This record gives sequence, C-alpha cells and structure tokens, in this order.
Amino acid sequence: MTVDLTQFHGAFFEESFEALDAMEAALLKLDIGAPDPELINTIFRVAHSIKGGSATFGFSEIASFTHSLETLLDELRSGAMPVSEDVSEVLLKSVDVMRAMLRAVQAKQPIDAQRVSDLQFDLEVIIARKNQAPPTAAVPQPPAASAAPRWQVRFRPYRELLARGNDPLRMLRELSELGETRVQIDAQNLPPLTDIEPQDCHLAWTLELPGEVGEEAIRQVFDWAEGDCDLEVTRLPEGASDLAVEVPPSPSSPAEAPVALEPPPAPLASQEPPSAAPAPEASAAASRPENTVKADPSMSAHADSGSIRVSVDKIDELMNTVGELVITQAMLSQLGGQFEGPQAEQLRAGLAQLERNMRELQESVMRVRMLPISFVFSRFPRMVRDLAHRLGKQIELKLTGEQTELDKTVLEKIGDPLVHLVRNCIDHGIEPPETRIASGKPPAGTVHLDAAHRGGNIAVEVSDDGGGLDKARILSKARARGLVGANDTLSDAEIYELIFLPGFSTAEKTTDVSGRGVGMDVVRRNVKSLGGAIEVSSESGRGSRFTITLPLTLAIVDGQSVAVGTETYIVPLISIVESMQLKNGSVSRLSGQGEVFSFRGDYLPVIRLHQVFGVEPRTRALHEGLVVVAEGDGRRVGLFVDDLLGQQQVVIKSLETNYGHIEGISGATILGDGSVALILDVPGLIRVASMRRAA
Amino acid sequence: MKLRPRSKPARKPTRGRQTRVAAATRGQAVRRKPLALQQECMLAGAMALKKSLCALSAQAGTVMLDAGAVERIDTATLQLLAAFVRDRRLAGRAVEWHAVSAAMASAARVLGMSSMLSLGGEPQ
Repeated sequence: MTVDLTQFHGAFFEESFEALDAMEAALLKLDIGAPDPELINTIFRVAHSIKGGSATFGFSEIASFTHSLETLLDELRSGAMPVSEDVSEVLLKSVDVMRAMLRAVQAKQPIDAQRVSDLQFDLEVIIARKNQAPPTAAVPQPPAASAAPRWQVRFRPYRELLARGNDPLRMLRELSELGETRVQIDAQNLPPLTDIEPQDCHLAWTLELPGEVGEEAIRQVFDWAEGDCDLEVTRLPEGASDLAVEVPPSPSSPAEAPVALEPPPAPLASQEPPSAAPAPEASAAASRPENTVKADPSMSAHADSGSIRVSVDKIDELMNTVGELVITQAMLSQLGGQFEGPQAEQLRAGLAQLERNMRELQESVMRVRMLPISFVFSRFPRMVRDLAHRLGKQIELKLTGEQTELDKTVLEKIGDPLVHLVRNCIDHGIEPPETRIASGKPPAGTVHLDAAHRGGNIAVEVSDDGGGLDKARILSKARARGLVGANDTLSDAEIYELIFLPGFSTAEKTTDVSGRGVGMDVVRRNVKSLGGAIEVSSESGRGSRFTITLPLTLAIVDGQSVAVGTETYIVPLISIVESMQLKNGSVSRLSGQGEVFSFRGDYLPVIRLHQVFGVEPRTRALHEGLVVVAEGDGRRVGLFVDDLLGQQQVVIKSLETNYGHIEGISGATILGDGSVALILDVPGLIRVASMRRAA
Repeated sequence: MKLRPRSKPARKPTRGRQTRVAAATRGQAVRRKPLALQQECMLAGAMALKKSLCALSAQAGTVMLDAGAVERIDTATLQLLAAFVRDRRLAGRAVEWHAVSAAMASAARVLGMSSMLSLGGEPQ
C-alpha cells in the first residue's frame, strides 16, 4: 500500500504551469550579456521546484530533464556561464518542453521522448562546452567567524507541507549551500510511529547561518513553502549562537561525507574584513524579523500569501446558492408589498435592507470569479517574439489594461480568438521592416493589446500600426468568390465585414501562421458564443483595430422581460435594438416570407413568439401588441409579444444541465414570484422561425 | 553522448560497520535478516515502509536496518525512521544499522537527525 499521491497532482500541475509562465516571463525579460540576478533566481527556483515536485510524484522524465536544466541554470546563477542568445533560446524551448511534458503526464499520455532527449542533449552540450572553457567562477567566500552576527531561522512546517511536494530536506540542503549552517531539529511533536501519516510533517527546525548571507537569499529558499509553514528569520546578536547542533556536510562533497557526526568546524579566523557584512544595520535589525523580500512582480502571484486556491466547482456552488437567495429575496419583496397594518412598514424596511445586502453579496461572489485579463495577455510576449523571429519582422508588443478583470469562464474562452487576432496583425498587418522604412514608419511595428471596462462590458482591443486592411483586395476576392455582385457598391464597414465570412482569407500565400481562412469567422463565432461582439476599423497605411466587446460575466444577463399570454420570457438586452408598436396596416405579407414590417428603410420579418412556443396569446393582432426589434447573427427581426414587463438582471440557470438543449432558448431563470422564465437566444430563434417558414 | 553521470551501482554501502543503538539487549534474541531500505526512499513508498516498521516495532531483540542501498531519501521517510528508532528506544529495544549509505547519512545530517536516528555510532 502506498500513500495516494494522485490527490495532490492537481495542485502540483496548476502550480507548475503558473510557475512556468513566470519562468517564461522572466526569460523574456532577461538581458543577454547583463542578466538581472533576481530574474535568474526566479528561473532557477521554478526549475528547482518542478524538479522536486516531479521527483516526489514519480514523474521521472520530468525530474531528469529539469535536473539537466537546473545544472545549466546553476552555472548561470553563479556567473560561471554568461547568458547568451543560444542559452536564452534553449531555456525558452525548455519551458515549452516542460509544459508539454506536464500536459502529457496530466492527461496520462505518453511524453514525446524524442523532443525531450533532443533538448536535454542540447542542454548538456552547452554545459559541457562551458566545462571545457576556463572557469570564471567567483572565488567562494571564506567562512565567517562564528562570533560574528548570525541569522537564526525558525522553520516550522505545517502538517501538509510534504504532501504539497515540498521537502524540508531540499530546502535545508539549499540553505547549507548558502553558508555553514547549524541545524537543530525539534521532534517534540512527532507522534508514535503507528499514528504517523507518512505525508504529514511533524518536525520543525531551528537553523543558524552566517551573518553575511543575505536575508533575501534565506527567505528565497522557503519561497515555495510559503503558506505551508511558519518562517522566522531573525538576526542574532554577536556570539549569541547557542545551538547544540549538527552541521550539514558541505554540498561539494556529499559522496565522501563521513557517517559519524563531526563537531562543527573550528571557526576560521578571517583574514579579510567581511566585505559585505551589514554590520551597522545588524543591531537595528536584531530581533526584528523583517520581511524584506523584494518580490518580482511576475512572481507576486506565488508569493502572495493573502490568497488561497479554491476549486471552481466550489465557487459555482456558491454562485448558485446566492442565485437562489436572490430569487427568494425577490419573492419576499413581492410578498411584502401585499401586507397592511402597523408592522408592514417595518417589514418592508427590513426587506429593503435585505435587498441591498443581497446585491452586495451577489457582487462580492461575482468578484471572486473575476480574474485580471493579464492571465490571457501574458502568453503574448513569447508568441509575438517567436512569430516576429520567424517572419523576419520587428515587432513591439504593447500591453495595457492588464488588470481589467473579467469572469474566469469568459477569460478562458477569449484566449484563442485573441491569439488569432494578434497573429493576423503580425502576419498580415505589420509590414516587413524595409517596407515600413520606405513608407516613413519606424522599422519596428507595434501591436497593442488593451482592455478596459466600458459600461457593463469589457472592451478588448487589438490594434497595429501596419498597412491596414486592403479594401480593394478584399473586394476583388469577394467578387471572385461570388460573395458580392460585380456592380455592388459597399461601404467601408461592409467591406471589412467580409473578412468575417467563412473561408475568407486574402493572404497571397498560406503560411503556417495564418491564411487558411479558418480564422475570422471562428473568431466571431467564439466571441458571439460569449455574448459579445467584434468590430473592425482600419485606415489604409495606418493600421487596423479590432474591438471585442464582452459581457463581464456569463452567469448573469441584463434582460428585458416580455409577456406572451401567461408566460414571461427574457430577451437579453444586448440583442435588443428597440421596441415599438406597429400601426394597423404597416405589416405586409410576402409569399413564402411570412409577415414583414418596415423598419428604418428595411423590411424585417415578424416572429410571433406565441407561434414559436405554442402559447395562447392575449392578442393576435399585431397593432395591439408590441414588437421588439432584436438582432442576432447580423440579422434583424421583430419579435411579436403581448407586452413589455420591465428590465432586470437575471441569474442564468442552464437548461442543458437541468433538462436539455432547446433551439431558440439559451437558458432559464426564476422570477421573483417563483415562476420560471425562459431566456431567449435570438440567433437560435431566427433559425427556428426561418426553418418553420421554409417548411 | 552521456554527460551526466547516471546513478551509482545499486548496492554500495560506504560504511560496512554496524552501529549499536541499545546495548542492553545484546545477545538477547535471535539475529534476523536486516530490513533493507529501498534504493528510492520517497514519500510514495512511505506507507509501505511504515507497515514494515510497524511490524518490527514490537519485535524482541535487536532490529537491524540496512540503509546501504539508499540513494534517494526524503524527509517523510526519515521522519518515519526517526519515530521508529525513538519508539524502540523508549521501549528499551535496540535498533542497529547494518549499513548506511552516504546519501542517507548526508540527508540525516542536513536535517539534523543523525543522533535521533542513532547514526552516530555511539551506543545509547
């Protein structure tokens, strides 16, 4: 029997993927020749932690690969090897390979061994090449006299530390690499063997390190255990060392380490004054466990101990309960209005208070699901760099509004459309440097990604300063395909709309980047499926701009409730153009087309909701009811209803989950009186109606 | 081309000498085969090790442990061994190390557990 480690796999994968993102970001920021040591540390820590975790979980291929990677990174960290273009390239490839390996292991698929061993070979060649070159490593610092001020580290792991793939052995070994370490174990809480769960940690340690070691370096060792342990780093006054302890072997010679315990080596009388010893600050910092770790912004997600990881299911459950509460509250409010008498006023005041609190609660829960769009944006620097490289273009990527938050579900689905747009900008939009210089532009083109709140929506813009959309070419292509008549004249907006048609691509040759024509239509479809819209504007020679408008969340929709007979339906506000009453006789009948009415110079078909849903209406005369002009999939229709009831935010309940898919209905909601109202899916409704007409 | 040295040959105890834990029990019981620790002593196998140790914890006489083959060991395993050694010692029963590999000795030392595990060589 073994401990079931699979229960911790999820957290390991999630953390590793995040860590790889951070590693990639750090690699992209790394300056060739003069790298920031903090960035190299960040990169090293990621490799180190993935190695440790994968070894714990028995993912030996990943552990072996990260071992080679770590060896190389260690050379960089110590300054023994310069960061060259080659090295940076290999490291970026390593990120890809590690990601692929983790994905494969996560999906229980075989790992692409060839790819891994090829890259591992490259890594080892680089390491070997360096080892043949004369070493330039810094001379190791002589150990300091132990009378000097020392650091005391109290490390008390929480019980679950081991289960999370953190091993104190690894951390303490790393500490001992920083300088001569004294260690004292506290096994007071170690229960009898029979009561120990192997994955629980019952031990704690007190360690002492030389004063020259930076506090930051010490804390960094425990970075990955943050949240899983109590850590205190304090400076001991001179000569205060009182640990009766073991001294770990020097890391350089673990193989020759003798078994027998040896006393700590006699303090060496240092000939040199300790160059970097922060003597003046020492007393000030004494007994003040200050947290002075300089956080790399890209790592702050990991270092932020003020956050917890919660599964999406739990949040959805919470959302659902809050949704139910909102309904109950609406029901009570409605009921409260019917009471009379001296206490009715009090009741209503209480209900009003409940409503306010409910709204706040709902907003807070919604906020929990919100994530900054930087989660999506962060993949672009690497992508742009690689693409620009491949296409021989110079591209500067500008990201703004990365902190704009939107619902996790929306966020996950917007990634692919954005990737497509950015690829298009780079492939079709930005011109090669020569062309740009010839037209008086800087050789490097700019691709700008921006996100911002606009009203109740989020607007995400992808713009470039390239050549802009080529109207003439789009039009001639559309004509060649018979999408546009030879003599039709189209406005600019209409021409740009053509690029969203299926199978439309103007790229002269198909590259592996874009140009297969399975693009913009899919982008538009994806955006639409999120309840959003995409628009394009362009100026010849100045660039183009794609604007995606998205709802903040998919869990709540702003709706117009309409009455048809005794039923209530919700029409999403985003689909509504306007509502109007038709005059008697303004409706014409066309053979095979049903009824149409004139709307701003256009003829729109009328869809009688009572017919589509088989409901007995209050009136069948069009001039006695109302028509809601709604838009879906670029088509407009008039929905004939009995009456408009009011606008409200409704919590969407999935019909698919609870019942089944019905064309023309996107979901359901529960109204204040407890009755169920169906939410209309306008594009689906148009399809249903036109099919019936055809039949 | 293999640049990274692969793992060492499996069984290569660096210390062949035996370390006495409790002298009191000398000559008391029949010597049994030592419990040999695996080459990889990691969390995944810790539950199995715990079972083996529990089975031995009440055994009269000296329990022999063989850590000569250990190449990788983690805190979880060392914690189990420490609890085992301590429990036996409290009950007045002996634990002896048949062999201790360098990897095991170094890990115990890094964690400050050498004396807890009675790897030090001194009878207690």
